[in-house]
Amino acid sequence: MTRLSRRTVLRGLGTGIALPLLEAMEPVTPHALAAGVSSKTKQPVRLAFLYVPNGIHMPSWTPPEEGAFTALPETLQPLESMRGDFSILTGLGQKKANANGDGPGDHARAMATFLTGAQAKKTDGADIQVGISVDQIAAASLGRKTRFPSLELGADLGKTSGSCDSGYSCVYSSTISWKSDTQPLPKENDPRLIFERLFENGRPGESAAARAKRDRFSRSILDFALENAKSVERSLGAADRRKLDEYLSSVREVEQRIGAASRKEHKAPHLVDKPDGIPETYQDHLQLLADLLVLAFQTDSTSVATLVFANEGSGRSYPFIDVPEGHHDLSHHGNDPAKHAKLAKINRFHIERLAHLLARLKSTPEGDSNLLDNSMIVYGGCIGDGNRHDHENLPILLAGHGGGALSPGRHVVYEPKTPLMNLFGSLLQAAGAKTEEYPQVSGRLERI
Amino acid sequence: MSRCSSFSASILLTVTLSVTAGASPFEAHIRPLLQKYCFDCHEGDQAEGGITLEAYREADAKTIDRAAWQKVLRQLEGRAMPPADAEQPTPDDLQSMISWLKSEALQPDCSQGERPGRVTIRRLNREEYNNTVCDLLHVSVRPADDFPSDDIGFGFDTIGDVLTLPPVLLERYIDAADAVARAAIASTDIDVASTYTLPGGVLSSNGDLDREFNVDSDGDYALRVSVWGDQAGSEPPLMTIAVDGKQKRKLKVPNERSAPEEHEIRIRLPTGKHTVRITFHNDFYDAKAEKKKDRNLHVGGVTIVGPIGVLPTELPESHIRFFTRPIPVDADIHDQTDIFTKLIRPLASRAFRRRATEDEIEGLSLVFFGARDRGETVERATQMALAAMLVSPSFVFRIEASPQPGTTRSLDDFEIASRLSYFLWSSMPDNDLFRAAVRGELRSPEQVVTQARRMLRDPKAVALARNFGGQWLGLRGLDEIDPDPELFPNFDTDLRSAIRQETEIFFEHVVREDRSILEFLDADYTFVNERLARHYEIAGITGDVFQKVSLDTRRRGGLLGHASILTVTSNPTRTSPVKRGKWILENLFAAPPPEPPANVPELADDKSGQLTGTLRQRMEQHRSDPACATCHKLMDPIGFGLENYDAIGAWRTSDGDTEIDASGELPDGRGFRGPSELRSVLAQRKDEFRRCFIEKMLTYGLGRGLEYYDACAVERIAAVSAAADDRISVVIAEIVTSPAFRQIESGGGKQ
Repeated sequence: MTRLSRRTVLRGLGTGIALPLLEAMEPVTPHALAAGVSSKTKQPVRLAFLYVPNGIHMPSWTPPEEGAFTALPETLQPLESMRGDFSILTGLGQKKANANGDGPGDHARAMATFLTGAQAKKTDGADIQVGISVDQIAAASLGRKTRFPSLELGADLGKTSGSCDSGYSCVYSSTISWKSDTQPLPKENDPRLIFERLFENGRPGESAAARAKRDRFSRSILDFALENAKSVERSLGAADRRKLDEYLSSVREVEQRIGAASRKEHKAPHLVDKPDGIPETYQDHLQLLADLLVLAFQTDSTSVATLVFANEGSGRSYPFIDVPEGHHDLSHHGNDPAKHAKLAKINRFHIERLAHLLARLKSTPEGDSNLLDNSMIVYGGCIGDGNRHDHENLPILLAGHGGGALSPGRHVVYEPKTPLMNLFGSLLQAAGAKTEEYPQVSGRLERI
Repeated sequence: MSRCSSFSASILLTVTLSVTAGASPFEAHIRPLLQKYCFDCHEGDQAEGGITLEAYREADAKTIDRAAWQKVLRQLEGRAMPPADAEQPTPDDLQSMISWLKSEALQPDCSQGERPGRVTIRRLNREEYNNTVCDLLHVSVRPADDFPSDDIGFGFDTIGDVLTLPPVLLERYIDAADAVARAAIASTDIDVASTYTLPGGVLSSNGDLDREFNVDSDGDYALRVSVWGDQAGSEPPLMTIAVDGKQKRKLKVPNERSAPEEHEIRIRLPTGKHTVRITFHNDFYDAKAEKKKDRNLHVGGVTIVGPIGVLPTELPESHIRFFTRPIPVDADIHDQTDIFTKLIRPLASRAFRRRATEDEIEGLSLVFFGARDRGETVERATQMALAAMLVSPSFVFRIEASPQPGTTRSLDDFEIASRLSYFLWSSMPDNDLFRAAVRGELRSPEQVVTQARRMLRDPKAVALARNFGGQWLGLRGLDEIDPDPELFPNFDTDLRSAIRQETEIFFEHVVREDRSILEFLDADYTFVNERLARHYEIAGITGDVFQKVSLDTRRRGGLLGHASILTVTSNPTRTSPVKRGKWILENLFAAPPPEPPANVPELADDKSGQLTGTLRQRMEQHRSDPACATCHKLMDPIGFGLENYDAIGAWRTSDGDTEIDASGELPDGRGFRGPSELRSVLAQRKDEFRRCFIEKMLTYGLGRGLEYYDACAVERIAAVSAAADDRISVVIAEIVTSPAFRQIESGGGKQ
């Protein structure tokens, strides 16, 4: 290109860039959008999926009787004060978490299948594949109304070396959110970074003008990135393109976020301090992640989230509740009553963290109700009895009122092996998410 | 199609037919044996372990079924299959099957040469990102520490297929690029000036809040004071802000806690100590009021921003290197951009690790131009262009153009340079390497080896120990391990870090001194500091610095005596002989035991109830179940041999009241007593170890899992290595000159 023509290009485009095109659209806030589609008072429904690994000691989990709760079983007792806000759903299964000819690897499959209902492709790295997860189905339609289509939180990061489960890539046993069949969404575990992402866009104490400037800066960076992507794409093969597509779809998502809303609204409610980093103790860590999830819902930053208490197959020890053994090791309890008791302790500890989360949601007013009334929280795992790697009788707790769509406070028993995906189908429907394109959630579950 | 090719095809057909007609050795001799001993369980849909031997065709043995046949061989050689309760093959039958597998089925067909395979484009992983921005722009920030963790495949975080790019990572790329660009190029803008925040406080009665601060250079500064009030009475809180005793601002604070306001004062300050004083003037308290009884002033914080409008006296190295000529601020922006274009070209080429294209230079110049056009300073506009460069796919991905479908091409010099540098340094090519690429000096194997040897001598080669060694040997897993503090009160942060360093330093030593890779198995030395020496009961070592020590080989030697490996393969409360055995088979001998059948509990219950006795006795009971025994007799004895090391790798002779029995017998009948004899027995398996090491390193270096056809490269490299005393530089030289490392084939079609 000659100097002259390049200059012309620069002149032409340069003025274009100088115009603050997108600012003109800023008055359209997510609230305004949401209010436009639903009635003025109707609050958006939030969806969260919480995962605990290695199965549950089911005898201490399952209420003895069907119907309205009587006495809560031992593991669920921390939820006593919220007995009207959750149900236990018994008899649900995820049959695609079974081997189905793929041999061992139940932990990897459990995590990968939990929200996808799909059979994980057995591979250590090449061509990982499972299916889009329900949270991402929800995010695809609900996520447009919020700054973040979804959040993926967890106490554990992915494993950093070695192998995980019987020939399955570690990504399966550390990921429940899948943006596509082939794109896992990693979890964020550092409360400071999560907070900054939600509320500060990475720069504390920044003035509004400086922030607007930075948005322009981000946009010009992304313009170049897109152009560059186009030029490199030509030389790529199919698998390479898939990687570049991940890049491009991320660019588009970030671009929308920059353009979508004014920055004033993204401040954290005052009195909420920014976390320093990852807390020393696991208890505090889980608590902080739960708090951030509530905060994200409360500020309408997102309405879809996943929170993984520990990776599937986790060997984490719980010495602070007198369980110094590794969780996974214990879960193969061989019917040893002492191990049963320790497993139940771990289960109960996790439920206490859930109780904290639910209490926070409930104490956050929203309109004339509260956040828990407008949420649907699925808590559970994709293994029933850890000793047997049972995927057919899963521990599933459903909390919240879903804006009136749910009738909690009961133990509901379904036919054995009723697909868990049917529950997800019903929840997506209740949340107003589009599910037509997703055959794996075609079913519906009654009596929730 | 020409006559010639159709002619040769028909000949080929005839040959194939005649082989089938004559019944191959497999059909004639082997298949009947498999039928006799194996098909009972390994047939049909319900085949045990998913191994359906009856379905395997001889023609596929060298390709797609290779991995399955390798498993079969391991089972037969280990006398693990058929299980003890099934009919056992006669020695002759067993020998026939083994020799067919070894000399026929598993002999890779390398007649067509080595296939290079296909590598998916790879984004930089966290280590690589940090190292690359550091080498590119000489900045010390490590922005990738805040990136989401990288997923691993085949045990490594260098696998293109597994490294994904979710939105949160792209956001972090933007923040990181901004941070790196600011660190690399100094700027005068207020919004990139350094900030320092002093804590605030509450003034609940009339009085002052004083905060002292220092500034390092004379200049203009902005003081930002964030305030709100508890509102009470008829007027809002009244406050003044004074700097060094001079009142700068007097104002009312009508806003509440929910909406703090920031007030900015611009001020010129000389170098040195200063004081900012915030004074509350109109306290109010009405005990009788129901609400709004108390007026207070809250100061959220005081932020000092600056100096503004001046470049710091000490400019960052990359700033000086970048502005080899000044960009005159009062020249026409187009002329400024012309200069910028010249300045950015070499940097962009280094960043993209190849010659930047005209389009790319143009695009980056456009970012600069646009920013200048909006009134940004030259430096800020430069930062923006640098940031754009760092977020672009050409930087975050290592891109190798795919050849035409069905073809193979040699990588160009720049691609080779990147493969070398990311393999050996986990970073971008340095000047030497980049220059060699520019001159076209990375074409011949000799040239590539010369570079590789130079690179191994460079301090940056420590990345190979940290990243390859750290993952191969599971050292990174040490962060996730939490030995029970009650049982192992000695396990503190110092020890955790020392045991990791021992193995890293050992690996580094092997690289630096170009030792034999077999020393990983049986070295009679290691590296300890005072803390680790205490752990190992080695006398006379003081200080934090690691030193090389000779070992009492009755107690320790080779990797199997490293506390790091012994700890990552233990449970929090006890050792796990199974995990240790499995880990060693998988990671040192590439002979992973078969996977357990579904739903077999660990240390299982059975009808007789609880297993009893010591750990070892319980495991032996477990192995009395033939379904378990086949695999456990491969793993457990190795683990038993290491029982003299506790769950954090300390030497022990008893476990509680039980004396340690560290004897065992491998399935092939070789016995041993204790770790030292076990080590000698395992050290004899050097062929397997060598192959395993090469496979792991090839996987890491290529960034893909190995395919059946890679067996040709592995076998060849192993042969060369064995003939050259197994020096590690020879293994590396063979890897970097192999077709897999220097060529690429198209994607698509059957892998």
